Amino acid sequence: MTVIAEGMNVFETSKQPSGTVHYLADPQSVIALIDSGKLRDHILLVRGGTTTFLAPALTMGAIGVITMSGAPESHLGILSREFQTPCVMTAHLTGGSGSRYVPGETDDSHFEEIVEALNGKNVKLDCSDHDVGKVVLLD
Amino acid sequence: MTIAETATSEYAKRYEPGDDGLRFQPLEYVGNFKDMEPVPDGILGDKIMRSRAKSGVLEKVTHEEVLNDQFSLDELNDLNNYLAWNIWDVLVMRATEGVSGMIPRQEYEILAFMNEFYRYPEFMRMVTDQIGAQGVIDIGESARSEIGTKINCVHDWCLGAVAFGMGRCGLLAGEWIRADDYVEESNIILKFMQRVLWGKRQDGYILNSQDRYRCKIHEPALIDQLMGQVQNFDPGSPDQHTFEQFNATAELLAFFDHYDCRLGLGDTGPYPLPDGRILIVRDLFVNEEVFHWSDVCEGLPHCYTLAVVLDPELMGLKEIRVNDISTSFTIPKNYVPHLTGGAVFVRDKWDTPMSDVYSVPLNELEPHMEKLRDSTYRMYKKTAKMSRHTLCLNGIYSYYIEMILPHLRKAGMYEEVCAKRDFWEIDQRVMNYYYEITKRNFVQVVVPQKIFSGEGYLPFSDEADLRASKYLWA
Repeated sequence: MTVIAEGMNVFETSKQPSGTVHYLADPQSVIALIDSGKLRDHILLVRGGTTTFLAPALTMGAIGVITMSGAPESHLGILSREFQTPCVMTAHLTGGSGSRYVPGETDDSHFEEIVEALNGKNVKLDCSDHDVGKVVLLD
Repeated sequence: MTIAETATSEYAKRYEPGDDGLRFQPLEYVGNFKDMEPVPDGILGDKIMRSRAKSGVLEKVTHEEVLNDQFSLDELNDLNNYLAWNIWDVLVMRATEGVSGMIPRQEYEILAFMNEFYRYPEFMRMVTDQIGAQGVIDIGESARSEIGTKINCVHDWCLGAVAFGMGRCGLLAGEWIRADDYVEESNIILKFMQRVLWGKRQDGYILNSQDRYRCKIHEPALIDQLMGQVQNFDPGSPDQHTFEQFNATAELLAFFDHYDCRLGLGDTGPYPLPDGRILIVRDLFVNEEVFHWSDVCEGLPHCYTLAVVLDPELMGLKEIRVNDISTSFTIPKNYVPHLTGGAVFVRDKWDTPMSDVYSVPLNELEPHMEKLRDSTYRMYKKTAKMSRHTLCLNGIYSYYIEMILPHLRKAGMYEEVCAKRDFWEIDQRVMNYYYEITKRNFVQVVVPQKIFSGEGYLPFSDEADLRASKYLWA
């Protein structure tokens, strides 16, 4: 079992959703994914921790979410709890440069490195711990 | 009677006088107390902050004190310091959420905060002049016997914590005002907030954090009425799944219709039930008619109210907080699998009489959910086409208009404030700040560092004049 990223676990759950990580860069890519009918094939990777960006994906059955900022108290954290959609927030890579997100002080290279490392990977989310959510590589 | 006098589960230990509560996050608050020990979140944080007050304004206050029009300088500073901690307590972790990718929320938030500080005093004075101090208290009291009302924790808290606290803090951070400016206006805002909150709670406190994060404001008769419609279910059952999905789906649109902010939802409670379970009463406002973008919500009611029944024993509940922005958090964090009962009520319009509020059985919720999902997707596609400027302006409205709208409506003065005070206009200074706030990383750095960290809430100095005003009173 290789843990490739970790972050704050929004809520404890025995659910272990798996799928290909799909980075959603803008609202158009969210709409395109929903319209493709393949929403449930993917673990969604987003930069922010706000709710609206992923709103239709959550209502239409997203199976798992990874964010690069935010906390369980953020609106996306609250809503993923309500939907019982496992969610790892402010994920960082377990390898790589060791960069960590600090609000207002983190440049784009931090996010680009995470997208590069996770996008397209087949993973499962392990959200059984009270505090730490894990992104586990399946292949 | 449906409400129990006392609760017996572990979470109930949090209500014992000597208990300091649990920590929900690892950070600590400093604020204006730089030479003192940092303050944690939660019940212990409340105790420490109140122990540092110079006046009695943070303890239970009397009707007579609330009717008094003027705070002393110590009272203003105590409220400023406590609100700064309270804001940090409820928002410091949320503030790590970064960019939205959809709505420029950090930008519209700071602009709305400052616009409220500049503009609310004239509305608040106008309302108070017309209905009197007792009338303002009565606005708060009305929430005790209603569901689906936006006279609730978050809106009432915003009157002071946002319009005074964050608005003044933002203006200080931008060096647009000085600490001893606008003292008279600050008093007007905080008095209005105190009166509404005091009238709602009726226990002498104004904030949930002062009462170990409880907001048990509803009258027993109303709780009885709600519980009379609750359908019990087993964890994992289809009924529980339906209720859980309805709650989440409506809550999401409630956030979205209010531009990704918490004004769309309102929890009260926890109300301990005689069988040991807990009731949370949750309003989800999915169609605010005053906003033009709510056209996609046509056919949905103003509010769905959920009676959410939770089994604390099943959950091993150690602490539950209904915080001052109307959101419930628990330890353990995941309360949803432990819901064992629920009911859904509909209030069609904001002024629908309580006698016309009706319940929807769980097996009839699917068409409502379908409409909620459809509205959410239509809202998304509509919003995705908007420019940054339009989104910012809409966002300002979703705070500045929304936070005082329920109180103006209840006073019967919304139309009058629109007509006589140009309610929907933005102060010209704030429109100018629109072009300033993205410079020097003001939004991305200063806002989280000053506002959500509690660092920028400068006190009024000993030389401050309670009469100091920069207003051009009409």
